[in-house]
Amino acid sequence: MKRTVDVNIPLGPIHPCFKEPARLKCEAKGERIVAAEVELGYMKKGIERIMKGRPWQEVMFLAERVCGICSVIHNMVFIEAMEQISGITVPPRAAYLRVIANELDRMQSHLLANFSYCYTIEHETLGMYLLDLREQVMDELERLTGARVTCAYIIPGGVRCDIPRPDAELLQASLDRIERDLHRYSGMFAEGPMIALRSRGVGILTQEAAHRAHVVGPTARASGIAVDCRVNHPTYRHLGFVPVSRPDCDNFARIMVRFDEVFQSIGLIRKCLTDLPKGVIRGGGVCKAGETRYSGEAPRGELTYFIKSDEFGRIIEIQIQTPSIMNIEACCHEMIIGADSIADVTSTFVSADPCIACTER
Amino acid sequence: MGLSLVWYLKEFARTEWIKKFLFAKTAPLMTPSHFRGFPEPTGKTCQHALFCMMACPAPGAIEVVHAGDGWMPRIHKGHCIRCGLCVEACPNGVLKSGRILETMEREGTSLLFSFRIAIDLELCTGCGNCCTACPVNKGIDTQMGAGGHSSNDEVIMRVQKGDIVVIHEDKCTGCKTCEVSCPTGAIRIARILEGYQQPVQEGLQ
Amino acid sequence: MTLLQRIKNKVRSRSIHVAYVDVGSCNGCDIEVLACLAPRYDIEQYGIFVHNNPREADVLLVIGAYTPGWEEKLAMVWEKIPDPKAAVAIGNCPISGCLFDRKGSFVDPPVKKHIPIAAEVPGCPPRPTEILQAILSVRDSVFANWEESHP
Repeated sequence: MKRTVDVNIPLGPIHPCFKEPARLKCEAKGERIVAAEVELGYMKKGIERIMKGRPWQEVMFLAERVCGICSVIHNMVFIEAMEQISGITVPPRAAYLRVIANELDRMQSHLLANFSYCYTIEHETLGMYLLDLREQVMDELERLTGARVTCAYIIPGGVRCDIPRPDAELLQASLDRIERDLHRYSGMFAEGPMIALRSRGVGILTQEAAHRAHVVGPTARASGIAVDCRVNHPTYRHLGFVPVSRPDCDNFARIMVRFDEVFQSIGLIRKCLTDLPKGVIRGGGVCKAGETRYSGEAPRGELTYFIKSDEFGRIIEIQIQTPSIMNIEACCHEMIIGADSIADVTSTFVSADPCIACTER
Repeated sequence: MGLSLVWYLKEFARTEWIKKFLFAKTAPLMTPSHFRGFPEPTGKTCQHALFCMMACPAPGAIEVVHAGDGWMPRIHKGHCIRCGLCVEACPNGVLKSGRILETMEREGTSLLFSFRIAIDLELCTGCGNCCTACPVNKGIDTQMGAGGHSSNDEVIMRVQKGDIVVIHEDKCTGCKTCEVSCPTGAIRIARILEGYQQPVQEGLQ
Repeated sequence: MTLLQRIKNKVRSRSIHVAYVDVGSCNGCDIEVLACLAPRYDIEQYGIFVHNNPREADVLLVIGAYTPGWEEKLAMVWEKIPDPKAAVAIGNCPISGCLFDRKGSFVDPPVKKHIPIAAEVPGCPPRPTEILQAILSVRDSVFANWEESHP
């Protein structure tokens, strides 16, 4: 007669596959997971408390360093919220340049998430290919803004520097190269038999469960819920943006949604470069008093800032709502339960793309 | 199984892969010139305007110290976040970093400071510490009284009949000495930064 | 120095295992360490292997400003690493707290007062070229003459 043993398996803060410290405590019967719980608290710095009483030129850098992977979108959402309070309008050339920086950041974040997944399912070759491709995207970001990570490119009223003609042509050539390589790598992922064995049908999140857990971002779009904040943004609406989604709800769909979004970002940047209007890049404007709530689409989901400022533009109250907490909770309570082995637990957790630094600022 | 073996063999028999495998080298450890590194001095003389210290978001990263006969800003590398605001805010172009100075000249962009004085009248006790401590006041009226009283109408602020009155807010240089000297924290200086660009006649490209 | 000690010095400085611990950062420096693994700034060509197991590591990379969640745990991780070992602080956060060193935050910089640090790489975040130069300098200054300084 077989006896199965009940064990508690902690996947600790220091783990070869998780890049950030979070504790995942799983209760297993044999090797089948019965329940899971996540324990956070290793990265709490109190950023929102430091931000109180400071003007935009200091809060902008703090907001960028909430998360280093998606730093451009934090910058953009904070500055656009301050512009909404103060009634500052942005010149059209600056709006298009902001979209270019945002989409380059989204591309490198999705390539990093897919590298992380390939590394977790031990397909290091494909992971290294994707990381090399990401380096080309970082080169373009460095040429546009001056820094690879935490660029500090967007200020109230516009952007910091312009893109001269030779740099725009280098960006176009680079995008063609990236797209050609990406077709090859996503083809390798979609057709590899070993990858399909470990990703298809693993970590299922049905559409009703996704609605119950309020997931956002590519995790939701891989379960058939096509919700994206970029449709509410005027510049993206002008460029004709439509969210992508896939109906099958497993790990494979989540990774393929990210690949689809990288192709979509390349198309958006090309469109911005061909339609770039002439004009100034800074419209001026000072920050005033008011209160607002503003949302943007980070690479991991919907990001919201609730800001209240005083008459000189200093922050009185601020609250940041980041996307990863919903995805992590959905992962622990819906996706991992019933997984057949511990290896599936790590690959499912990584495919939901957690960003623990965003979750606890 | 056999099909994937054929596929892998076809992958590794491409000339592009064989050429890369035999002749590729890793990139040399070089930093491109457009990378925004730690700010370095250009050689122009520092006029002690202190806008770099006011614009810096990181605590303890930049300070303006004596260098020979004049002044020079000094960057502490363990604190500086390489944002480039000090390079843009300096009116005399004393620091350089990456391509920031060239883009500022080509596009006519700059960062402008303005200062506002805000006094909370419920906390203010009328002691006059701020008026006596203000260095601009001391330059205008050297005989300012100990309680902040002054008969000179050109000072920034003075105490009249037990209450503080701000006369010339536009002369404030934003040093925040009054804020430090206030015992109740009633006076606060706001440093308002605005990103500005001169309107260009012809196209930028 | 006997022949065995000379061989040990040479071997230790040519094959280094690295573990990294994130004590509360924004992840920017973490991503730049991963970018060192990429084929562009290949770190494995120097014999440096980045896995994440403290029990088998020689060099510990400390990233981030020290948050209260890691109170005694960082010292515990440091003790688990067997000799010879070195710790490298990457980025501005472990050196001075970067932007988080203000009144009202929960961090406790610098990390130097909790575990001994052998090298520092300033920058927010530092470029992969600068991280590589720091790890290679640790290799020469700490491991190449370990046998003489620790009999």
